[in-house]
Amino acid sequence: MSDLLEIHQLSVQLQNKVILSDVELSLQAGEILGLVGPSGCGKTTLLNVIAGFIEPCSGQLTIGNEIKVSADNMIAPEHRNIGMIFQGYALFPHLTVDANICFGIDKLSKREQASRINPLLDLLKLEDLTQRYPHELSGGQQQRVAIARALAPQPKLLLLDEPFSNIDARLRNELMIEIRQLLKHLNMTAIFVTHNKDEVFTFADKIAVMHQGNILQTGMPAAVCKQPNSWQVADFLQLGSWLPVVVQVVDQSNSLVSAIGDIFVENSPLDTEHSEEDHSDTAGIKKFITGKNSNGSLQLLIKPQFINLCMSDAPANVQIEHISITEQGYHYLLSSLSRDDCLKFDQLSFYTDVLLTIGQQIKITIKSHDFVIFANTHF
Amino acid sequence: MVPVLIMLFGGISASTELFTHLWQTVLPDYIVNTLLLGILVVILSLIFGVTAAAIIFHTNIIGKKILRWLLMLPLAMPAYLVAYLYTDLFDYAGPVQRALRECFSWQSPDDYWFFDIRTLPGAALILSLVLFPYVYMLARTAFEHQDQHLLRAGRSLGLSAQKSFFKIALPLARPAIAVAATLVLMETLADFATVQYFSVNTLTTAIYDTWLGYGDLATANALASVLMLFILFAVIAEQKARAGQRHQSHSPDKSHEAVLLSTVQQVFASIFCWLLAIGGFILPFGLLIIMALEYSDVEQLIALLPTGKNSLEVAFYAATITSFIALVLGLYRRLGRDRWRILPQQISGFGYAIPGTVLAMAMLATFGPLDHWINNFAVIVGVQEPGLLLSGSIFAIIFAFVVRFAAIANGTVESGINQIPNSVDLAPASLGAGLTKTLFKVHLPLLKPSILVAWLLVFVEAMKELPAVLLLRPFNFETLSTQIYQLISDEMLEQGALGAILIVFFGLLPIIFLNKNNEHKQNKPSNENNESIENNENKKNPNNRNLEENT
Repeated sequence: MSDLLEIHQLSVQLQNKVILSDVELSLQAGEILGLVGPSGCGKTTLLNVIAGFIEPCSGQLTIGNEIKVSADNMIAPEHRNIGMIFQGYALFPHLTVDANICFGIDKLSKREQASRINPLLDLLKLEDLTQRYPHELSGGQQQRVAIARALAPQPKLLLLDEPFSNIDARLRNELMIEIRQLLKHLNMTAIFVTHNKDEVFTFADKIAVMHQGNILQTGMPAAVCKQPNSWQVADFLQLGSWLPVVVQVVDQSNSLVSAIGDIFVENSPLDTEHSEEDHSDTAGIKKFITGKNSNGSLQLLIKPQFINLCMSDAPANVQIEHISITEQGYHYLLSSLSRDDCLKFDQLSFYTDVLLTIGQQIKITIKSHDFVIFANTHF
Repeated sequence: MVPVLIMLFGGISASTELFTHLWQTVLPDYIVNTLLLGILVVILSLIFGVTAAAIIFHTNIIGKKILRWLLMLPLAMPAYLVAYLYTDLFDYAGPVQRALRECFSWQSPDDYWFFDIRTLPGAALILSLVLFPYVYMLARTAFEHQDQHLLRAGRSLGLSAQKSFFKIALPLARPAIAVAATLVLMETLADFATVQYFSVNTLTTAIYDTWLGYGDLATANALASVLMLFILFAVIAEQKARAGQRHQSHSPDKSHEAVLLSTVQQVFASIFCWLLAIGGFILPFGLLIIMALEYSDVEQLIALLPTGKNSLEVAFYAATITSFIALVLGLYRRLGRDRWRILPQQISGFGYAIPGTVLAMAMLATFGPLDHWINNFAVIVGVQEPGLLLSGSIFAIIFAFVVRFAAIANGTVESGINQIPNSVDLAPASLGAGLTKTLFKVHLPLLKPSILVAWLLVFVEAMKELPAVLLLRPFNFETLSTQIYQLISDEMLEQGALGAILIVFFGLLPIIFLNKNNEHKQNKPSNENNESIENNENKKNPNNRNLEENT
């Protein structure tokens, strides 16, 4: 299958500020991409460039086979055949639901209009609301009208800007599943922007993590979570806590020295921000550590599920700072007991069914898994 | 309010014989003229104002920043001044026609056609040149407050930029434009001096003539009542228009891209805007300055002092009393939660809709008999008769001003009060402060800017107001506006150019002052409070003239 959307080295400057730099992105027909990132990273700008509301200053943008946009060949938004659902939906307040949905297809005859929108009204359960005005609708209904309006002209690509941010948290999940099913049913290609990673996991086939005007990583959500390619990605997706470690080479294999004890590493891929190709090469790691970091400290990503509570009488290595109750059991935040400044950590997070008390000192161990380590550059 | 009712009553009780006489002679003409003038001015103002607002907000014409506020300045120009200056300029003996005759060596008026400005369409043009800024400002504010996502949505649904304007932006701005149109209509119906100068007989000139010319109070009352009925229709229409004004996004996105015009379009758009600015303000103001430079001297300046003092005095009292009343009414409403507490404010706000001429008639109708009654009472008690204590002093003028401009002050103070979060009313009590202390330590300091603005607006309006003063002033009492009106009637404005400049200058003050404030606000867009200030001002009292300064 060929790509429906292809973005190549796209850059945008607004008021002499670089908003997007050399963005690369491609999307196949029928895929739903979730674009996430902290606020101000350029997600909405990217969406607006694709829609045609902002001109790129360099790079190419290809939609389908016909539409090829570059800095010298700007195509007006009305000629791009892209549907957009705006944050807050931007329904026309002076028009009824019916007129809103027909807005983009009013050149067609009344009969054709009806044949276009009736299935949409049916799918989105809007049949009874056609004569209402937007302010007479609930948030969820407004959103469904916005979707119907964007889909009526049968766009090639659908853009959604924070589509679920105004929806009641309780309804959100249900609605996301409903709309995902609809888009899949229509085989619609879509990009949606959010700052909530959980929405991506429910709604999208593919995730793209943005940071400061760049797309850091694109891929299947599960793959990205398993193998984040940078500290920012792992941190934004809140994949786990950070444990400072130092690598020691003993008998041709590594172990990681940390505040909670040594962790033995078998042939595990080690990622660093600066040497992405240098996976699982012990010599490489060592070189990197001595070369780049004088204090030799790295950050080990620890997901909560890899922490084991050790019930033996062995000496404790952490202290409990905070307890909260969740559906996954008790959630504990732990602080380090080590006084070694280099290895001290602020907090580790893990879940267990065992009830402990604040201030209690316990011993934990790390299960062996594919360790993810980044250089300690962000502190 | 009471005086107006008394006047209406007086008008109705005026003998039917009188009415039939009026009806058979001049009344139909007056009514037709009044209506025609109103309709023409509204149409022209809409064309000028909406187009200018659309150009300024939606396109990228050069000089946008200057034009943005230049287009508001015509409001500072009293229409009668512009009327006089343009007549001077375009009359048969004026420089324009003289130059044309010289240029083409025409001999007499039969040789060529030149528009006659002293006609009803001429008056309509002049009035719309100074009144279109109402439409311009309200329409522009409406455009600025629109959620720009709506326009983008239109584009993404296949509409071109122009089409999205006509199908989305314009319909959404309709309530604001309707409000502006009613403001223009009310101002036009209230206009007296322009039509008087152009000898276009409307209801206002008729009221003035019947009272001062024939001393016929009953007929004047009757005419004023007819005019009042028209105003009432305008007000009701306006309220209806506002009823539809409910849609506003909660968090409108205001980042917007200007529509890029081609060079030819740019030139036409620029010429249009500059013509409006020049026609409404720059040209007449320039003529005034030239006049002042040519004719004024120290003597004239000294002669200006007593009238200037009168003007300032009346305006000062009116502004102070009005602001004070507005503050009391505003706080009265705020501090209790009952719905009826809004009533006094609303009733007093009605005065703005009443034309100065009508209001003056109402004052005369009320205070005249009241004065007689006081004198009779004095005779009975055995004290010396005080004379025309109420109707014969500046008391009547100030009273009329307070009634007429209450809406302006009310609206401004009210929007200031609305900006104070409700929790602020409660917080001092939780800290152990009493009501008085709360009002003086919390509310008054917070309201200071709004009170100042209210005071300034009323002050300026009072300086400019003509018809009410003309009818109510005591013998030999001149203000700047009456003096200028007198000089205009005598075709001797040269003598009063300085005074006229003074009036225009005072009229500019609030526009500049409030514009500065707003520019300041725009410099720090992160401050959400400022957004709410603008929004509040936008949704203010229907009759509120302060809307005009809202940029």
